[in-house]
Amino acid sequence: MRFNPTFSTTITADIQQSEQALQTALQQVSTGKRVNLPSDDPTASAALVQNLTQYANDDQYTANADSALSQAQAADQALSQTVTLLNQAISLGTEGANSTTSASQRQEDATQVQGILASVANQANATFSGISLFGGTANGTVAFTSNGSGGYTYNGNSDVNYVAVGATLNVQTNVPGNQIFQQSGASALGSLQQLATALTSGTSAQIGAATTAVTSALNYVSQQHAIYGNTINQLTAQQTYLSQDQVTLTSQQQSLVGITTATAAENLAQAETQNSATLEAAAKVLPTTLLSYLQN
Amino acid sequence: MGGLNASLSVASQGLQAQEAAISVTTNNIANANTPGYSREIVNLSEGVAVGQGDTALGGGVTLQGFSSVRDQLLALRIQQQTSQQSSADAQTSALNEVQNLFPSSGSGLGTDFSAFFSSISALSANPANAATRQSVLSSAQNLASEFNSISNGLSSQQTSLSQQVTSSVAQINQLSSQIATLNNQLTQLTAQGENVGTIQDQIQQDELSLSQLTNISITHTNSGIDSITTGNGTSLVLGNQSFALHTTTDSNGLTQVADSSGNTITASITGGSLGGVIQTRDTDLPSLQTQLDTLAHQFATAINSAQAQGYNQNGTAGTALFTIPSTVSGSAALISVSSSVTTASIAASSDGSSGSNGNVANLSAVATTALALGSTPSNAYASLVDQVGNYAANATAESTAIGTSLAQLNQQQSSESGVSIDQESTNLIQYQQAYEAAAKVISTISTLFTATLSIVGG
Repeated sequence: MRFNPTFSTTITADIQQSEQALQTALQQVSTGKRVNLPSDDPTASAALVQNLTQYANDDQYTANADSALSQAQAADQALSQTVTLLNQAISLGTEGANSTTSASQRQEDATQVQGILASVANQANATFSGISLFGGTANGTVAFTSNGSGGYTYNGNSDVNYVAVGATLNVQTNVPGNQIFQQSGASALGSLQQLATALTSGTSAQIGAATTAVTSALNYVSQQHAIYGNTINQLTAQQTYLSQDQVTLTSQQQSLVGITTATAAENLAQAETQNSATLEAAAKVLPTTLLSYLQN
Repeated sequence: MGGLNASLSVASQGLQAQEAAISVTTNNIANANTPGYSREIVNLSEGVAVGQGDTALGGGVTLQGFSSVRDQLLALRIQQQTSQQSSADAQTSALNEVQNLFPSSGSGLGTDFSAFFSSISALSANPANAATRQSVLSSAQNLASEFNSISNGLSSQQTSLSQQVTSSVAQINQLSSQIATLNNQLTQLTAQGENVGTIQDQIQQDELSLSQLTNISITHTNSGIDSITTGNGTSLVLGNQSFALHTTTDSNGLTQVADSSGNTITASITGGSLGGVIQTRDTDLPSLQTQLDTLAHQFATAINSAQAQGYNQNGTAGTALFTIPSTVSGSAALISVSSSVTTASIAASSDGSSGSNGNVANLSAVATTALALGSTPSNAYASLVDQVGNYAANATAESTAIGTSLAQLNQQQSSESGVSIDQESTNLIQYQQAYEAAAKVISTISTLFTATLSIVGG
């Protein structure tokens, strides 16, 4: 068979191919990416879209968890204060129920209990970033207001909000105030008012009964307090999970579309060698014809 | 016959034959780099033997003419593969632009979906916050604009491909008419017994250009005249006649191709750059557009119905966040945030109180629930990225694969018909030596004549 005399086109194609490879290798080194367009690897590109969506979701879940955690911590602190205050009231009630306690001492205790009641009401009206912590889902209203006769009226509602902190994890962010502070049979606000009244004008037995009521309220508030404790634990655990998940996703992104520096550098070195070899070969072959020898 | 006179005649034939061979070599060298040129060879044959008594002497050399070295079958295969490669290249080029509309990272529909759903999720922490609500509204507007811009990108690509259809048809018509003219010249030159190699080279080159534009079918006749039809049999060239294709504009504003009788033949054009352009414009892009429209329509419908399940900041039932056409078609181009929507319109509440975030779960659920099309919004976008990536990758792979076999065919053709300077140089020396030898013979005979005449004269 006759050989192909016009191999300059073949050489041109070879040079182009090696230059294309060089360009690709250079791009991979400079971007650190193996996939720069969907057509470079359609499946990896589609997986990257899903990965980035999940990463963005994790970002938002983390932000939600941060915000819910701050809110839960504020509520937790308010309830811790309430527990301390109720314990103080129980001490005062126990002291007042003792038949040896003088009337003047009881009056003094009554005044202290009223102070405690005001402090508890204050905790019940606690807010976080403008949100009433114990007002249910009502917005822009104070949860409890004094009814003028020593008692308190609840202005919120009985609804609760949940915050999504994971694809399938929603965390309750609030417990309605009427459930914590005015629970029937264990009302913190009601029992404190009852104790103050008993200390002012009641018998030892009435003071004792009122103290028991405060104790029931304390137990109940402690239970509700535990709900927030659980929420905080859940949120902290979720934050850890989310940050780990993001690390996993980042490493997936790298394996989907990235290229290690070592591989990229190796590819570049290979492409450079190939390119210079092609050019060198072309330089040697192209100028040589029979004529070059005939002229000598 | 015989004697010095006969030898002189043979030597003179030899001179003529070597002259002709040198002129062929010269022409080959001159056209060494001419695209489409097939090397020519000189056809020499022995002269008829001349009898002289009992012995017969050779009759010298006869110049039979010149012929081009070409392989018609190889040329046909090259034309077919060129047609396929041009089609793949046209698709690659059009789809490379389109795939920029569907990035897998950075700004794009995927990121806009994430931003939109993140802003909705952020509402759950503080549903009454004006800044958080504003961010939902802004991300909804960004999302709608992205849908609009991708849809416009696809439409404008279709328009630009339609312009390519028009220009390709014009080139096809020009080449057809050129080939018809060359066919005419070929007929005349053949009748006059002239060398038609050059004309055949030109016809072959034009046929190759034509096959770059569209898939053609070539029929060689005994007289050497080619008749050419498109892939579906529409006549382009018949002898010295050419039939022009026409373009018309359909109801969607897209350019269609019609044969000389006015019948639309767009769908049957499958090869060449015209075929590639039509494939991308009429199959790939409409498929992407339909999926995008479906995604826009179903996503907007899902968000609007989630809105309707809740209450806005004023405690009234939620209204549509997005405005879309009633039909799926055109949804991506026309989706927008409803003009009456304000920050208060976002229906985060499930109980009517402004601090409730109960309906955020319904709005967020759109991100994680499969739409009627079978996947979640961001997964639907991911499969669009996959698809557009595959379209472009397949076209590139096809072009590369055909490129390899086409390169082989071209090498084969080149080894058959290409001019080798080395070979021509060798030939030139050979012909030069033969010419010099023939001239020497003439000079010798001349000396002999002189010697003979001097005897007579002496």
